[in-house]
Amino acid sequence: MEEVDKILIHALKQVGTEVSEETGSVRQFSSELIVEAVVRCVRVIDPGLGGALPTSLPPGMSARFRVGMSLAQACQDIGYKGEIGYQTFLYSNEPEIRSLLMFLVEKLPRESAEASDQPQGKSAVLQRAIAAAIRAQLSVPWLPPNCRLPLHSQTQSPGALHSFHVQPLSLAHCSPGKKPLKEVKDYHRDILPPVTAQPSHHASVVASILEQHTAELSAAQEWDSEWNSQGLLSRLKPQEYRSRKLTRLRKRIEEQLRSAALPSPESASGGPRPNGDLSELLQAFRGSAPSDHILTKGSHFTHTQKFTFTKTEPSTSIPFVHQSDSDVQLRQQEEQLSLQEQQLCSEVDQLTADMKHMTVTHAQVLDKLKQRELGNSEKEEKMQVKKKTIDLLPDSDDNLQKLKALVEASAKRVVHLASQWEKHRAPLIDEHRRLKEICSRQDLESSQKLSEIKSVHDKICVSTEEAKKKEETYKQLVTELENLPQDASRSAYTQRILEIVSNIKKQKEEITKILSDTKDLQKEINSLTGKLDRTFAVTDELVFKDAKKDESVRKSYKYLAALHENCNQLIQTIEYTGTILREIRDLEEQIETENGSKTVANLERILSDYKAIRQENSALAAKVREG
Amino acid sequence: MAATETQLMLSVGLIEKDVNRDTLWVWCYPSVSSDLRQVLLSKCCLTQDSREFHTFVFGQFCRTWFYISTVEVQEPTALNKVTHFSIVVTAKDFNPEKYAALSRILCRMYIKHGSPVKMMEAYVTVLTKGICQSDENGSFLIKDYDIRKAFLAGSVKDVVSQFGLETIILYTALMLKKRIVVHHPRIEALLEFTRVLPTLTWHRKDWSILHPYVHLTDTELEDLKKCPGYVAGFVDPEVSNRSDLFDVYVNLPDSVITVSQSAKEAMAMGKLHKDVGLLIVQSAEDAERSDSQVIKDISVKTKEILANLAALADQCEDSKITLESLKLHHFPPATENFLFHLAAAEQLLRI
Repeated sequence: MEEVDKILIHALKQVGTEVSEETGSVRQFSSELIVEAVVRCVRVIDPGLGGALPTSLPPGMSARFRVGMSLAQACQDIGYKGEIGYQTFLYSNEPEIRSLLMFLVEKLPRESAEASDQPQGKSAVLQRAIAAAIRAQLSVPWLPPNCRLPLHSQTQSPGALHSFHVQPLSLAHCSPGKKPLKEVKDYHRDILPPVTAQPSHHASVVASILEQHTAELSAAQEWDSEWNSQGLLSRLKPQEYRSRKLTRLRKRIEEQLRSAALPSPESASGGPRPNGDLSELLQAFRGSAPSDHILTKGSHFTHTQKFTFTKTEPSTSIPFVHQSDSDVQLRQQEEQLSLQEQQLCSEVDQLTADMKHMTVTHAQVLDKLKQRELGNSEKEEKMQVKKKTIDLLPDSDDNLQKLKALVEASAKRVVHLASQWEKHRAPLIDEHRRLKEICSRQDLESSQKLSEIKSVHDKICVSTEEAKKKEETYKQLVTELENLPQDASRSAYTQRILEIVSNIKKQKEEITKILSDTKDLQKEINSLTGKLDRTFAVTDELVFKDAKKDESVRKSYKYLAALHENCNQLIQTIEYTGTILREIRDLEEQIETENGSKTVANLERILSDYKAIRQENSALAAKVREG
Repeated sequence: MAATETQLMLSVGLIEKDVNRDTLWVWCYPSVSSDLRQVLLSKCCLTQDSREFHTFVFGQFCRTWFYISTVEVQEPTALNKVTHFSIVVTAKDFNPEKYAALSRILCRMYIKHGSPVKMMEAYVTVLTKGICQSDENGSFLIKDYDIRKAFLAGSVKDVVSQFGLETIILYTALMLKKRIVVHHPRIEALLEFTRVLPTLTWHRKDWSILHPYVHLTDTELEDLKKCPGYVAGFVDPEVSNRSDLFDVYVNLPDSVITVSQSAKEAMAMGKLHKDVGLLIVQSAEDAERSDSQVIKDISVKTKEILANLAALADQCEDSKITLESLKLHHFPPATENFLFHLAAAEQLLRI
């Protein structure tokens, strides 16, 4: 009971009732305390109901009576099902009060569970703070600049804003493993300005630092992820991997440039000139120049085109000139210029024709040269062979035989050499193959190990994530625990509950045992009575049969009957005693409960209150009569 | 002469692919330069990542013809740990059939004996005597494989049926010694098509312009550029972007012929071309005429044109043509242009 009382007292204290530290149980509550507690609870549960009720009992008896009635009504409105009236408050009774207070405390609305549901991590707290600040700022109405208070200057004027301007910074950190040169160190120490002084605008310091750090961080992360996925698989050292990647990218760029620079084959509109500059650039890359012909041919075309166009223009403009002095002069000048143009055009035509001729003849000459060279080499070979044949010609038959023998001998020798070589070669090739097999097997194993490493790495990542999360939740829970109210310890509750449960279990066991014992006893009694009846019936018959004849048997029969009768009475008396004992126990319990409800004290108080009310009534009646 | 013909064979080499999926050049006789070896390894289908298996490919590099036969090793065999191998024969002449037959014999020998020694014996016999025993009945004789047969082995009719009147573009390009690039993703189709093209200029009988199997590597392209005019076959579709390599581009699977910008002026075609084109098409469409007859018809027409050109040359001093002399005849501009360039190609132009 004490724990229950403690919980009730604690709850009442939270509601606002002033309960002194000494009152440890509900029994010690006075009527005033009870009323105050109940009123406060009702106020919290239902402010509409509780607003009209006072927290303390007024002195006058009738007022007290009224207050008690209204309180009882309020409690019933809230939903209390038990018997309640003014007497519960004025002449209180421990069990009734306890049950009423328990009902009210349960009805108290729970603390809002919002705060405890939200995650309490640091970033979540920060975000909530930011959201709250922005909400507050948004709720402030916008004012024109003249009317603004200093409160608004931070949020509504644009003066404090800066555009995000980034400048490159040079930091004095050295990469691990490489010792910086002495000059570099001196430069870093003496000349390099600090990071905050490097950007030209003070406002860009933050932006530049943020940019630099994010760039470095993202580069490191990208390299990490790339190395872990592709780099390890390629089994190269990091520098080798990087250099290979560089060459690969360069090749791709070259290919892209080349394909982009080429003109499409369908563009046939009036002899367009190919992108001379870019293809020249590509020629420089490749360092070969056989397609110079193409370029020059192209330029021929554009030249001829350009000049044909310009040639037509002056010829069409001539007929439009008027006949006057200044015009005559102009006309003469125009004629001169057109003559010059025609001359130049013809020269250019001549040159283009010459160039065309030159290229074609050049091709012809090259071709001829090549053919001559090939012919020369072939003829040389033939000449060698013929020379040797001529040398051998004088003694042709012999020499022929000798040659044949020589050829056969050298053929045999070559074959012999080949077989010898084969003897050396075959084991070497086998060895090579065997080693290659071992190598590939090792490759397989190493790739398996790599995949294992990768999976372990993944597991590590996952476990670190989990550990981080768990640490965070642990911290959150610890802070929550610290923030929780320290009174009414939960463990006391749980322990008490567990004790009660075990007690109840034990009691239940005992009860079942007793019940079974009782059942057995009852069974035994039944069987014994049955046995008794049967035995008596049998003996009765037996003896009665003989009783007609013999006197002693008749006497014994009478004794038997008397014995049976007396024993029956004994049994009845015992049963009666048992029931009476039970009644005694029940009555004793009732006496106890009645004693607990302090009826005597209440009765005295009721009597005194009754007297007080009668006095008040008479006083009021006298007042009414007087005035 | 039979003796000089056998000097045409240069070397024989062996490439093996073993159970470790490793391809090695394991043996050669007498020797192969390392450049050529690199090129041959790249041509051999065993080194390529794709699983395509080409039984016989051939090509040209540095005026050397190479012929590669590839065989998959079937159990039972004397070769252990070898899954596939290729035999490479290099020679100075163009004769795919001859070298295909020779390599088949050498392959069979190698499979049977498991050692290149026997194979080399057969090779040396062919080199010295021009004949060798083969496992099948009969023997391999060099003189069975005449070079003319190699030249005529392709089918001109197929080319004309695929391209129709556009065949005249190929004819013009070949006559003017221009650079033709052919593309087809399958090497066999490429080889079959490109080997026919030099037959259109039968009067020259020059198959050294044929480079049927080229990759886009620096060494090979360097070698290719040494020839002023060529017919080159590429399996790589990237070659269509390399307009520096061709004057005429033939996309074989799509049957599209494109003339590059720079060569359009020289390749301008007129009435003369139309006549020749029609002749080619008519001759090829005639079911009665065989391939060699078609080639003969084309070469007759070519000789006619060349005879005209020679006549024109004779009219000029020192029998060389100049542009002015051509202009005197007032040919239509396309014909004049064509004759001018043809004269250059046939070494008839005055320098």
